Amino acid sequence: MRLAAIALFALAIISALGACSKPPASERFLQDPQALKRGKGLFIGTCGAYCHSTRKDNRDAPYLFDCEWRHGGSDTEIFNTISTGVSNTRMVGFAGKLPDGEDDIWKIVAFLRASREPCG
Amino acid sequence: MEATVETAVDMGSELALPEIPTHWTNARPIGHSRGPVADADLRAGPSAGQWLLYGGNYENYRLSPLETLNPATAPTLQVAWAFPTGTSGQFEVSPVVYDGIMYASSSYNRLFALDARTGELYWRYDHALPGDLRLCCGPMNRGVGIHGDTVLMATLDAHLLALNRLSGEILWDAEIADYQAGFSATSAPFILKNMAIIGIAGGEYGVRGFFDAYDVATGKRLWRHYTVPAAGEPGVETWAGTSYENSGAPAWTSGAYDAESDTLFWTTGNPSPDWNGDDRAGDNLYSNSLLALDPQTGERKWHFQFTPHDVWDYDGNTQVFLVDIEHEGQPVKAIVQANRNGFFYILDRNTGAFLRATPYVEQLNWASIDATGRPVVNPSAVPLEEPEFRVCPGNMGGMNGAWSGALDPELGLAFIPAIESCQHLQKGISVYADGQPFLGGTPLITDAEEDTAYGHISAIDVATGEVRWRYRDHDPLGAGTLAAVGGIVISGTQDGHAIALNSATGELLWKFRVGGGVRSQPIAFELDGTAYVAIGAGNWTSMAAYQGGTTNIPEGGNLFVFKLPAGS
Repeated sequence: MRLAAIALFALAIISALGACSKPPASERFLQDPQALKRGKGLFIGTCGAYCHSTRKDNRDAPYLFDCEWRHGGSDTEIFNTISTGVSNTRMVGFAGKLPDGEDDIWKIVAFLRASREPCG
Repeated sequence: MEATVETAVDMGSELALPEIPTHWTNARPIGHSRGPVADADLRAGPSAGQWLLYGGNYENYRLSPLETLNPATAPTLQVAWAFPTGTSGQFEVSPVVYDGIMYASSSYNRLFALDARTGELYWRYDHALPGDLRLCCGPMNRGVGIHGDTVLMATLDAHLLALNRLSGEILWDAEIADYQAGFSATSAPFILKNMAIIGIAGGEYGVRGFFDAYDVATGKRLWRHYTVPAAGEPGVETWAGTSYENSGAPAWTSGAYDAESDTLFWTTGNPSPDWNGDDRAGDNLYSNSLLALDPQTGERKWHFQFTPHDVWDYDGNTQVFLVDIEHEGQPVKAIVQANRNGFFYILDRNTGAFLRATPYVEQLNWASIDATGRPVVNPSAVPLEEPEFRVCPGNMGGMNGAWSGALDPELGLAFIPAIESCQHLQKGISVYADGQPFLGGTPLITDAEEDTAYGHISAIDVATGEVRWRYRDHDPLGAGTLAAVGGIVISGTQDGHAIALNSATGELLWKFRVGGGVRSQPIAFELDGTAYVAIGAGNWTSMAAYQGGTTNIPEGGNLFVFKLPAGS
């Protein structure tokens, strides 16, 4: 019984490690022109205008194509921000709101990353 | 004043900060015992001592009867007093003055009752707002309505509040709609008879637009007019599929009233999504329209649609003026409007018949207008995924419903502040979800980024649409105008100046640096024989940048009241 519990625990650790090391879906979409096009279309159609600027300016519309991220700039962090929103701001969460679910959010992440200016 | 706290505070913490009051009421006698505001006061329009309606009168002239405000005296205007709002964002107020008291609302729904002579604060109410407001375009409020002893303010979380005009106590609070679905309210309630009429914003969130009438005495809703038909209703055939369900056509500005025909006029905004019309093929009635209604029931008499199947965000809801003109040798009871799409429209206000439309902006390339008043669209101006055509006017106008013009019927001129800031319009994918932006694309703010945007106030002949003069500014202009029968026009600029122009010529007569960019609607009044002009300063940097205006001035609202020196 004890051995079985240890084995299960070890399995859980391995699974968790595996999950952690699994690349985010945005990696896959970065290589897919159709996915990038959809990510761009969703961004332009849902996130642009008064919400996010597509060029650097003085607007209260955060520019997402540089390397300055207030809520984390990794793909996973960006995915989480898009999914849950940012409280007390105009950024609302999009989890469950886009037609292709998480894939659509990952495609937006991939578009942002593909369009990002060189960092550093 | 007595202060009370209306926000929840954690009293369990040892280090709890002092409670912050949000409401200061008044128990002193104030004012001059004028008594309640009567219908006759509202119908009379601005008199020497009062300014009651957002549009000045029901015809929306924003015309002061003060002859002492004239080209000779305008250069002598001097500061009487000033008052801070303590808030950022656009300060778009049109103050109300009655009984020696000024009522001014600020961004984020603060409401102040002030001594109109001195600026002394009588009472104050700060509306507690949630942190997840759905605001596309800033935290503005354009003013209050007044009726009886009640002052009414609409809020960013889509409520309508009634307060006692002397004490500031809240009389009732009506929820207009669920703000989390994308609704908000920014305009001054339109007071007519016993009703406060208020429309909602939310066209960028795919809400179904409407405007309501509430009983001022009780807060009970008397009627609601949806601006887009439901399934089975006339006009729904102008929306492909079920696109009418997330339709936009908000009603976020104020109306006009013609007592002779007992007709209420209201206007509507853009269909949703803004820049992608693929899923809503058809004219999309009654977006971007002028509606004539029975004010007792809210039922529509007729409509005229300015921009069918809009894919430019050309809200059709700039202020309308009711004016009697001569057209082709015949007297006509007209209704005229400087539309956001760049055309100045003249219609018959009894029938809705189209009479004329002429460009009032200097750059207009999205369409021409045919003999019936329908736009003939330039195919190059339609948004594309990779746009190459610079569309004029840009999506903010032209004129915009966020500010109001003035009209002097003796001169036959409307004084219209406008933006010249063309854009490339990029089309994207439209996805509707409750409370989420439903845009379908984005403007690329070409002229703003290239620093070629500018603005002007144009004096437009209301019978012909001809531009008689223009006052140009290096920034797009977004403040309202006030006309005085003495022959001046008062307004402001986004680089922080209040200005006075000669009504007949456009000559600059006076310029005073108020600091913040001006986005408010100036008014005038007279007390104890002294003429006053009130104008708010304070911009929202984000919108200034979007239009191509000055962006390096700090935000923060300040209400300035100027007066003529003794003996003027």
